Formats: sequence, C-alpha cells, structure tokens
Amino acid sequence: MPVVELEAVTKAYESKIAVSELSLKVEAGQMFGLLGPNGAGKTSSIRMMMGITIPDSGRILLFDKPFERKSLERVGYLPEERGLYKKMKVVEQLVFFGRLHGLEAGEARKRAKAWAERMEIADSLNKKTEELSKGMQQKIQFIASLLHDPGLIVMDEPFSGLDPVNAVLVEKTLLELKAEGRAIIFSTHRMDQVEKLCDSICLVDHGRAVLAGRVREIKASYERNRVVVEFEGSAEFLNSDEIAEAKNFSGHAEIRLKEHGNAQKLLHEAAAAATIYRFELVEPSLEEIFIQTVGGNGNA
Amino acid sequence: MHNVWLIAKREYLEQVKGRAFKLTTIGLPLIFAAIVGIGYLANLGIGANEHLVVASGDAALANAIQERLLVDKNGKSTVDVVAATEAERAAVLEQVRTKDVDGLLWVDTPNDAGPKATYYSPSSGGFITAGRMKDAFNEGLIQEYLTGTGMKPANVDAVVKGIDIDTYQVKKDGKLVASNAMASFWKGYVMAILLSMTTMIYGMNVARSVIQEKTSRIFEVMLAIAKPEDMLAGKLIGVAAVGMTQIAIWLVTGAAIVASPIAAAAMTGNLKIQFSWTEGILFPVYFLLGYLLYSSLFAGLAATCETEQELQMYMPLAAAPTWLSFAMILLIMNDSNSVWAVAASLFPPTAPIVMFLRMASQTPPLWQFALSIGLMIVSIWGVLWFSSRLYRVGILMYGKRATLPEILRWARYS
Repeated sequence: MPVVELEAVTKAYESKIAVSELSLKVEAGQMFGLLGPNGAGKTSSIRMMMGITIPDSGRILLFDKPFERKSLERVGYLPEERGLYKKMKVVEQLVFFGRLHGLEAGEARKRAKAWAERMEIADSLNKKTEELSKGMQQKIQFIASLLHDPGLIVMDEPFSGLDPVNAVLVEKTLLELKAEGRAIIFSTHRMDQVEKLCDSICLVDHGRAVLAGRVREIKASYERNRVVVEFEGSAEFLNSDEIAEAKNFSGHAEIRLKEHGNAQKLLHEAAAAATIYRFELVEPSLEEIFIQTVGGNGNA
Repeated sequence: MHNVWLIAKREYLEQVKGRAFKLTTIGLPLIFAAIVGIGYLANLGIGANEHLVVASGDAALANAIQERLLVDKNGKSTVDVVAATEAERAAVLEQVRTKDVDGLLWVDTPNDAGPKATYYSPSSGGFITAGRMKDAFNEGLIQEYLTGTGMKPANVDAVVKGIDIDTYQVKKDGKLVASNAMASFWKGYVMAILLSMTTMIYGMNVARSVIQEKTSRIFEVMLAIAKPEDMLAGKLIGVAAVGMTQIAIWLVTGAAIVASPIAAAAMTGNLKIQFSWTEGILFPVYFLLGYLLYSSLFAGLAATCETEQELQMYMPLAAAPTWLSFAMILLIMNDSNSVWAVAASLFPPTAPIVMFLRMASQTPPLWQFALSIGLMIVSIWGVLWFSSRLYRVGILMYGKRATLPEILRWARYS
C-alpha cells in the first residue's frame, strides 16, 4: 500500500508552471529521494503533499486515501527553511508542535525529552531557540516533525546547516525510522547521501519527472564506462585513445571511456606504463547521472 | 477549535511574558500621567511670584488694577503702584532692564481720549503675564467706572468677574444630575483616545506578528498542521486577550487610584467626572469589536507585505476612520444627536470612537447601540472573509510585494 502517491499532479503560479504531470509513489519502509536542480519543482511538490498549496490538476493520496487534512496528523514535515518561534524555549516549542499534532501536554513533554537525548541536544531544552546555532535549530525542527510518531516523514533538505557529525546522526536516525516501517521522502542536493540512504528516487527538472525508479536499477541501466585505476608509475596511459575524460589524483584516476571504448585495451596500456593495484569498471555515480540528465545545468 | 485555542494561548503567553508588554503596561500610564502632571505644574508656575509695577496718572485706576492683580490666586505676585512721572518711568525701566522688576504697566489717561496702556518686560515672550496685565487693566477700568456710577461693590464684582452657572442634566427618568460640559468633554475625549490607541496598538501587534511569522517561515510548518483560518482566529483571539489583560490592569489600577482619598479630594467641583455602568460594559465591547475589525484587516494586509516598513504604507489608509472620528469631535460634543453624529456612530469604522464621544454628553437610545454593534459584527465577518483569503495566499508569497490587482485576484481564487 503506497503511503503517499502523486498522480499526474500539476501546479502553476501566475505564468510559471512549477510542477507538470508529476507522478510518484512511496511505500511504507521506503526511503525516497526527490532530486532536481534549484527551481525544479521539488518544494512545490512537497508543499502540495502537505496540503499547503492545492494542485491545479491531478490527485494526491495519503495513506491510500485522497488527500484530507485529517491524514496530516500522521505526517511529519520538515520545511526547507527553519520555522521556529525564536523567543520560545526549545521544550515549550516542541510541546506546542506536539500538541498541535494531537498529543497531550504531558506526553509531548516526555517525548520531547526522549528525542532531545537521542539527538544529543538535551542541554538545550530550556534555552530560547534564538540562542542556538543553525545546526541545533535544524535538529529541533527535525524533532518537531517526528514527535507525534508519524507514518510518513516528508523532509525538504533535512541535512542543510548540519556539520558532518550531525549529518551522520540524522542519517542514522532516518535509517532507524525506515527500519521501523515508516515511509520517508526527502529532497536534497547531496547525491552521496541519496546513494547511501535512498531505495528509490525521482529526478525532477522544470517541473517534470525526468528520471524515476529504484536507485539500483537506475544505476544498472547506465553503461559501465567508468574506470577507477589505482597505480604507481607513469600516468602516460591516461592519454589513451580509449579515454574520453580522465581525472588524475596522484595515483588514483577516474576515467570515462569513449563510446565503445575498449577497457581491456586500456588495461594493457596501463599495465605497460605503471604498476596497477586496482582496475575496476564501475557504474556512473548518481551525481554523474544527475548532471548528465539535467544537461549540466543543475546547481547541485 | 483545539488548534485555535493552542495558537491563541501561545500568542497570549509570548506577548504577556515579553518585555514590551511589561514596559507598555507600566510605562504608558506613567508617561501619560507625567505629561499631564508636568503640564499642570508648569502652568501653575508660569507667571507666578513676579514683581510687577503699575503706574497711572489716575491713582484710583492704578489701585483698582493692583487690586485685580493681587486677587489673582495663580499670580502670587508683588504689585507696587508708583507715580506716573517720567523720572519714575526711567527708574522702573532701569529696574526692568536689570530684572529687579518683572514688568511695568504704564497707563496714560489723557483728558481728550480713553486710557491707553503700555506693558514693559525684559522678555518678548511673557504672554501669560502680559495677558494677566491686560485682564487686570480692563477689569480695573470697568470697576473704576462702575464704582463711579454708585454701583454696589458686590454687583461690580459680579459684573467684572462674571457669574458661574450651575448646570444639571435632566435624565430620562426625570432625575437631575449635576453636570459639567467640560468634564464630560474630557471624559469622552480620554476614553475615545484610549479606545483608538489600544485598537491601533493591538491591531499593529497582530500585523507585526503575521510579518514576523512570514519572514521566519513558521507559516510553512504551521500550515502543514493547522488550517489558515484557525491560525488567523488563534492569533486574533490571543492578541485580543493580551489587550484585554492590559486594559483590565489599567482599569483596576485606575479605579484604585480614583477610589483613593487623594483622588477623591482632587476630583470634586469642576473636575468631578461620573462613569456609568453602561460605559463600563460598552468600553470592552467596543474595544473588542474595533480591535477585531482593524486587526483582521491589518492581518490580511500584513500577509501581503514582506517587511514592517511596507506595512507602514497601509497604515494612514487604515487609520483614516480614526482621524475622521476625532475631526468630528466638536460637532458630536455640541449636538450628540445630530444626523452626522448618529450616522458616524453607526458606520462601523468610526462607530467605537464616535459612540463614546456621544455617550460623554448623552446616552444614545438602545436601538442605536444594537444597530451599531450589529453592523460592526457584519463588517467584521466581511473583513475576516476577505483577510483570511489574503492571509492564506499572502503568507506563502515571498520575495515580492503584492500589487492591488494581485490582492483582488487572491481574494477571488483562494
């Protein structure tokens, strides 16, 4: 049963079409990445899922039912930009959002404390939000979206403003939530995180889905024309006629072969010039697929 | 309704706990009292304790002027009479120059013309003392002439000073209540100012709060949980409760001060002001209605703005009915039942202030209260309808100011 489903959804603002005929589906226990360059329509799509704006045409289903506000009680939402009351204490803020989602005050307080421990911000519970760093505020926003135990978690750029340590903490938490059977959909520009976390993706450009499916299948569908070579000795083989593009990082080279380029021939040339420790034909990275698909115009 | 209550409570607690609430609750009445008090004390002191000199060829007139200056309780001046010779004139003018004398009134009484007075002082702006001299001269002149005709001193005094008239208001039940037009005027004026000030302050608070939430992107989170109508209703109720709390504090403090023996001693005679139960009940009612009308309008307009500076552009338009109400003050106080006064007290944007100005002189008929309140409720509903549409679209529009055609389009399609 899909937890969230968009069926040919379209949204236009004044003269600009933000989202055009977009369809996607996220199942329970699935992590879904919504990708695309800036202004592609990711935030517009997320806002429609959350009932903040209404589609001009198409249908949105939450928990297998046409969209209704009641369903939002089971959805956790983290917006692209932090939306917190600056003058409020962190714990009061979390209790307020918990209560808006239907929790009793005592229960909301209990959960706020437990989540604060889990996200390593227990010391900040009694501080005013304005006293905290951007990263800390992002973690509070993250907790606020999860306090009511949602079945669907929608996050617009959840890693923005986080340092590497906190980004790993959020990644770990998202994986735990996924393991608990929750459906998670998030937008990001960080392709490495998408590769690590997502089961499926939808790449949006100019409001349209230009690439969608399971990450594994998408990557497998691309030709293995990437070669990673680790070597010692002359790098002369990087001038081979088989190579379209090569990046040399002192003994570690990343190579894109020409169309119909011969990897075996390249291996022979490399072995003749240098000592080879690793020679591997690899799939293109999501980042390469992203750039290739949106024509190199993406800002990611 | 659960969400409306939660949003209202949050808004209320945040504002009541804030520094601005504490400062305005204590500071505003103190500033108000200080302005009135300083003005009163300054008036008491102006032109008092001065050393004045009167010179006239007519000794009786000079004495009459001296007498008039001395009976002026506010003056507390020392007044000398000197002979009207050129030598005396030169000597006193020298004393004026060295500021040993604060003023010289020189009265010429030529045989072939009426008396002529000249006032000399070291300052060009001492208009209060100059005015006092002029009054004393005119009154002294009348006193001298009337005494000369053989009129009794008591009658002369009555003619010169004028006679105070006792005024009574005949109530609908036939009761006679001592009244004072000036006191009534000030009562109505102060209550109308209080009403317009609080309505505007809290209306602006709502607008500011909308802009702050818009710029801090809280709307994005809130809209995913609550309906825009609930958010607007919660905000209006929360801020209204803040206003009611502040007014209640002021009224209770004011009542305690008025009930104190010092105030009782001060507020007698011409200063005696009576408050009725009708005024006590209708003040919060008109505050709430006026506040809801203006703040719902401000909330809608604020949602179309990016900054508080932008919002300021709308303020003169929104505040125009308040100015109109005060511009009509003399018309209303003079005849509170004139067509214009009645019409303005029924017209929703001006109703709260004008109704209070009318009530200061005479309680309007019950049907006019009912109609004015009814019309206000219908207007509030209309403005809320319009504003909630601006609000739900405007709060998600970032980066550009909405034009008038856009605002009208939002009201249509949202």
